[in-house]
Amino acid sequence: MSAVFDAVMLLLLIATAVTVARARDLVAAVVTFGLYSLVLCLVWQHRGAPDVAITEAAVGAGVTSVLFLLTIAKTARTER
Amino acid sequence: MRAFALALVLVVALTLVVGVAALPPHGDPSGPVHTHVGAHYIEHGVRDTGLRNLVTAVLLNYRGFDTFLEVIVLFTALVAVLALPSATRPRRPGAPADDGGDRADAVPVSPVVFFVVRLLAPFIAVFALASLYRGHVTPGGGFQSAAIAGALMIALGLVFGRERAARLVPYGARAWLQALGPLGFALVAFLGWRLTGVFLGFPADEAAYALREAMVVSLEVGIAVGGAVVLAQLFMALDVRA
Amino acid sequence: MTLFGIDLDYVACVVLFCVGLYMLVAKSNLIKKLLGLNVMETSVFAFLVTAGMVEDGQEPIMVAGSAPPFTNPIPHAMVLTGIVVAVSVTAVALALIAQIHAHYGTIEVDELKELP
Repeated sequence: MSAVFDAVMLLLLIATAVTVARARDLVAAVVTFGLYSLVLCLVWQHRGAPDVAITEAAVGAGVTSVLFLLTIAKTARTER
Repeated sequence: MRAFALALVLVVALTLVVGVAALPPHGDPSGPVHTHVGAHYIEHGVRDTGLRNLVTAVLLNYRGFDTFLEVIVLFTALVAVLALPSATRPRRPGAPADDGGDRADAVPVSPVVFFVVRLLAPFIAVFALASLYRGHVTPGGGFQSAAIAGALMIALGLVFGRERAARLVPYGARAWLQALGPLGFALVAFLGWRLTGVFLGFPADEAAYALREAMVVSLEVGIAVGGAVVLAQLFMALDVRA
Repeated sequence: MTLFGIDLDYVACVVLFCVGLYMLVAKSNLIKKLLGLNVMETSVFAFLVTAGMVEDGQEPIMVAGSAPPFTNPIPHAMVLTGIVVAVSVTAVALALIAQIHAHYGTIEVDELKELP
């Protein structure tokens, strides 16, 4: 059961990373990066690293995504 | 360019997979990862440092210099961002006006977001404080508290506007609060040098237990407050609504 | 899980690293490059935490009732430091990207190369 959870989480990680690469709309890419951060946080919680999971959850979605969105608001919205 | 990128990625992937194949499978408690320094820290960690959270013990005591330099890195990033001129000055004449797509307009804050942030903000603040206070017996500690408090201040800055959120960090003390991480570390390291002869050394005898606790607590508070203020200031410096 | 003797969790981290590397090298938009750099950094953190994991291990917190085996606390400390460094690098890079856009009007490397 734990192996199934692991496998599903890792596949989800790779799928979200590929989606970040393929998204043309930069806001969609940043939101998907936030989802990638969340799945990574769950993976780390499952691997017995609660400290790292808390920090990644707060930093990945809270700080990094917001900073990205602020810069996208100042620059371009779509990738050419 | 695409073909070159794909070829490079394939070469790197093959090299890394060959390297990773030489590692033993993860999770084995008798593997070489867990039997050298890790086993020593797990066995003697509580006795040597007095901290029950071994990750905090490794961060602040065994690998204290790494943490010291890392708070300096965070502070340097803030200095670099603040040293850049504001990115809203007018473009030089002749530069192309088209910016590759619509500039995202300032979106007014939805009342749902406003309500949820106002509802959750006190609980998040309590969680940050609890993470700092209980960080030596539960998962938590300085960095976690800094990340949570920094994210909270960023959320408040998004919802209430930059001027009101900037008042969370009082203007007169702002420079000192930003530098609290490296400053706290430098002070405690100096104190440790005076006490034990080793820079960032902690007194090891049983009688100095309270002093060691005080040093660790001040380090944690410095990391937490300094880190949270630096993260909030990074947000303020990049905020688009001047 | 191992497949032909290679640990699949490590291979997943290598795949993530290569996805991030592709984004860093092949994309022309500076924001995409920065996202690729972040994906690379987080893949390395995942590799480190996976390497320090122990089967059915406890968290490395010594309270009453905790028994060995414990997960190794050293990769956790390294990854915490790494996360903070990653957010620092991202913040400075984003400030620079905003500067480039304010000065040149574009953040696509293909167009920046054409400028006089």
